[in-house]
This record gives sequence, C-alpha cells and structure tokens, in this order.
Amino acid sequence: MSQKRPVVAMAALIVLLVTMLAPIFPISSASAAENKNLIYDEANLLSEQDRNELNALANQYSAERQTDLIIYTTNNEEQKEDKLLTQEFYDNRAPGYDKPHGNTVMLTLDMYNRKVYVAGFYKGEEYVDNDRTARITDKIYSDLSEGNYRIAFEKFLNLSYEYLDLKPGVNPDNILFKTWFQLAASVAIGGIVVGVMTYRSGGRVTVNRATYEDSANSHVIDRQDRYIRTTVTKTKIEKNNNNSGGGGGGGTTAGGHSHSGSSRSF
Amino acid sequence: MPVLEYKCPNCGSGMIFDSVSGALSCPSCGRQDNIEQLPDPLKKQVFTEGEVKEYHCNSCGADIVTEPETSATTCSFCGAAVVLSDRLTGNLAPAMVIPFSINKDQAKQAFKKWCRNGLLTPGGFMTADRIQSVTGIYVPFWLYDLHNRIEVHAQGTKVRSYTQGDYHYTETQHFDIYRKIRLEYVNLPIDASEKMNDELMDKLEPFPYNELKLFKTPYLAGYIAEKYSYSEDELFPRAKDKTRSYIDSYIASTVSGYTSVSYTNKHIDTTLKNADYVLLPVWMVNYDYNHKQYTFAMNGQTGKVVGKPPISKAKVAGWFTGVAAVSLLSLKLVSWMMGGGFL
Repeated sequence: MSQKRPVVAMAALIVLLVTMLAPIFPISSASAAENKNLIYDEANLLSEQDRNELNALANQYSAERQTDLIIYTTNNEEQKEDKLLTQEFYDNRAPGYDKPHGNTVMLTLDMYNRKVYVAGFYKGEEYVDNDRTARITDKIYSDLSEGNYRIAFEKFLNLSYEYLDLKPGVNPDNILFKTWFQLAASVAIGGIVVGVMTYRSGGRVTVNRATYEDSANSHVIDRQDRYIRTTVTKTKIEKNNNNSGGGGGGGTTAGGHSHSGSSRSF
Repeated sequence: MPVLEYKCPNCGSGMIFDSVSGALSCPSCGRQDNIEQLPDPLKKQVFTEGEVKEYHCNSCGADIVTEPETSATTCSFCGAAVVLSDRLTGNLAPAMVIPFSINKDQAKQAFKKWCRNGLLTPGGFMTADRIQSVTGIYVPFWLYDLHNRIEVHAQGTKVRSYTQGDYHYTETQHFDIYRKIRLEYVNLPIDASEKMNDELMDKLEPFPYNELKLFKTPYLAGYIAEKYSYSEDELFPRAKDKTRSYIDSYIASTVSGYTSVSYTNKHIDTTLKNADYVLLPVWMVNYDYNHKQYTFAMNGQTGKVVGKPPISKAKVAGWFTGVAAVSLLSLKLVSWMMGGGFL
C-alpha cells in the first residue's frame, strides 16, 4: 500500500503536467502518424508551420474530448451564407470523431462576407450549444478583425476543449470555474484565517457596549424622523442585443444533421 | 508607624491573605481571621502624602526597598508581608478591592494550560517551563460613572426600486433624523498605573464586580500593591475615548429602518458623575523564551490570560498552507459538482 501511493501520485502528477504543457508544446504530439487533417485552410490564411501546429493541437483535443474540432476557412466565391457553408461542409465531407457525420465542433471563416460561424454537431451540439457558440464568437471576433487568425483559432480550440468538459447548461464563464480565481480565493482565505489567529493570539477584548451600560437609566429622550422629499431616477432597460451582427442560432443540414451555432461579423 | 504587618495572635508568624478562603490566614498554625470583621488600623491614622522617606521592616528591622508607587510588598530580607499604610490613606485610600480568587499555583497551572492551547506558538514555548516569575499585583483602577447627553442630527434615505414598462425606477425618500439620548455608564474601568500596559489591561476585562469588597489592608498581605499614578481627572479623557465607540453603536441602534444614514452633527456632552478608586487583582507572568522576555497578565478572578506570545513562523506557514489547500480542494469540488472540470 505504502509502496503504491507514491506511484499513483507520480502518475497523477505526470498526467497533470502533460495536460498542462500540451497546449504549449503542440509539436511534441504532431509526429503521431494517425493525425488526420482538421484544418481546412482554403483561404490560405495560415503559414505551413501554423497550420501544422494547429492541426496537432486540434487532433490532441479531439481525441481527449471524443469530438473533432475543425477549422474551415474559405473565400466563398459563390457568396453563400456562412450557415449554409457550414452545413454543406458537414454534409459533403462527413467529419466526426466517432464516425462520419459524428461528434464535431467546427469554425467556419467566411472571408468574403467577413463572418465567422461556430457550430456543434451531436456531442458538440449538446456541449457547445447556441449560448456557448455565441460566447466563442464573442471572444474571438476582435482577433479575427485584426487579422490574428492563428491566435483566434487557438482560442477557438482552447474554448471548445474547455466547454466540452463542462456539463451542458452551466455558464462556462462562471468565475468559480476559473483556476486563477480558485487559487486567489484559497490564498485569501488562508491569509485571513492565519491573520485572525495571529491577531487573537494575544487575547481578545471580551467586553462590549452593553457591559458598562446602565440600561435602566439610558434611553432615547426625544426622536424625530421627518420626511423631506422623494427623488426618482429611471433608467431604460437595455434589451439583450450585445451580439452586434451576431445571432443566427443552429439548424438542420440538408443531410438531416441537427446542429447548434452562432454567427458574427468581424 | 507607616509600616503594617499582620502577626498571628496565636503563634506570632506573619499572616497573609488566602485567596481560597478569602480570609487572613496564618501559614504556620492555620488560624483564619475574617477580614470584613477586623478593625482596620488605617482608619485611625492620618498621614500627609510623601511624608515618610524610609520604611523599616517590623520583623527584622531592615530597610524596605520599594518603588515610589508600591503600597504593599514583601520584605526582601525576611520575606514578611508588609503594607505601607501612608500610601493607602487620604487621597490614596482605595474605596474598594476585588481580592484574588486564584492563588499562585493555580495561576501557574492556568498559564501553562493557556500556553498549550496556543495554535501558533512554537513547540518550545508550549511546554511553559521557563516561567521566570509569577507576581500577584493589585493594580489601581478608576471606576468611572459617566453621564452622557447626546444630540444627533442625521440624513437618512429609504430606497425602493421597481420596474415598469421599459424603465427601471429607483425611488429615494429623504428624511431628517433627530435623536436626543441619555446614556449612563457605570463602573467603567481605566487602569491608573503608569507601569501597566493600557492595551493589556483593557483586554483583561471584565472583572466580576459582585466580588468588590470594601477596602481593608489585610487583603494586600502577601501581594504587591501599587498606588495610582494618574488622578481621575487626568484619566477622564481616556474614559471618554473608551466609551466613544459604545456611544456610536448605541446611536446607530436607535436609527434603524433606513437604507443609508449620514450623520451631520453629533453632540456628546459627557460629565463625570463619580469615580471610585479600586484595586483589581492581576497576576503578572514573566516568561523567558529564546533570550527574549515576554510579559503576560492574568485576571486574578476569572483567569483570563492576555499578552503577545511568540509566533512560530513554521506553524504560521503550516496553517496557511493547510487552510489554503483545503479551501482550494473544496472550491474545486464545488466547481466539479456544478459541472465544471476538476483540473
């Protein structure tokens, strides 16, 4: 038993390290021969190296979450709608981790209309629902408009990877889920507890205002609460319209595959 | 004769105050005299303050070496308990005294127990085997009776908010508030000794006032006593300071039901109704740890210990790490149960 413990701990530590370091060194797993192509850069936005690195990262995440993470860029010469582009891509090329037309989360970048569309199919639809696809497009559109495609795509991969591990329906931006917040809160709690212990080690004051008060002879002699005026301020309630040029939602492809989705201009 | 001693009428030994029975008792033959029924020789004598420069022990005749504030001590040559009566008469006569109910051994035991409970104190300190001295001191206190007339003006608001149509309304009602309060404080203790740390003495409170006895010198036999260094008028500002936070919270308790209150004018008129000079029992413990002196005080009635113990950096680090780790784990668990990832 005592022999096994350190082994288990070491194994856990290695798994932890690998998962933490993996996004930083995506090349390390790029050599695996069975890597399939998940980056369809038909608008030629990425360098050869960026493309390879993103593909390696996408493959690794896909395997861990059992869901293909696909990036599809196009010049859209036929001037189709971004949603339709996504649906045709899915129907024609049949992506999916588990089977053709299987679990997928994909990003479609329409360079003609300058629109980005994120969609989830099957497990992807369940975990990366309309709300979460909207969150992803919200977080990457500014990088896209500045032309930082590589950074935006990496964010897409990381966010999809994160959301695919969060129970469907919960708010992924809840601060409780953030590791930095958990760490900061723990350190703060530790600091406060130790601070209070140190402060109290010298003895506490255990008398309060009632200890020396002669309550029989202490009272309010006179009191007045005079109403003067009422002021009213009103603010217009903002309609939930922060997806400027966004929206869309999911749908069903011509091939009968239901999906979630959100579109946004960049 | 300014030096008082208590000789046992049976055997002639020096008698001392016994905190267990509350009587003047003879350690040799066990005779016990009820102090409240003893005639106090002090009442018959009149001295002028500072008249006497030298004191001689009645038992051995040696000079009694004291500090100018000391009013009771033991002879450093023969160990006899002596009371310097001229420092306890006239203006210096205490009205009342709370005698010790904890004796020296009990004080030591209580202190050792307290040391063991220190969560942040170093291990070497917790064994409490370096007690240098345990001294029973009657510390001079003034018990103030204060009369406060308070008048307060304030602005208060009550805020209500609601939604109607496309608008969110915030309705604020403004009020003029006035309170006139009479507030009495009785037996507010302020320590009148220059030597004693004020903060330490404040933390020793509360003293059980039901144990207050009319002052008689035999209560001091065997202990050290001091006379006050500051008069009741000199300490009046400290008494006002001490009640200030009590008064503020009393005022706040009379102004309720408002969303916010801002005071425009607080007028507090404090008058000193009465101040009693009393002696309160304190055990002072001197402790030597790591070549440093630590001083602790213990309430001679309740056994409450105060004073800054040494803090072990290792234990602080240990507690910090432990608490932070447990918090992190529980936060992770909470986020995991809400559906988040564990790592």
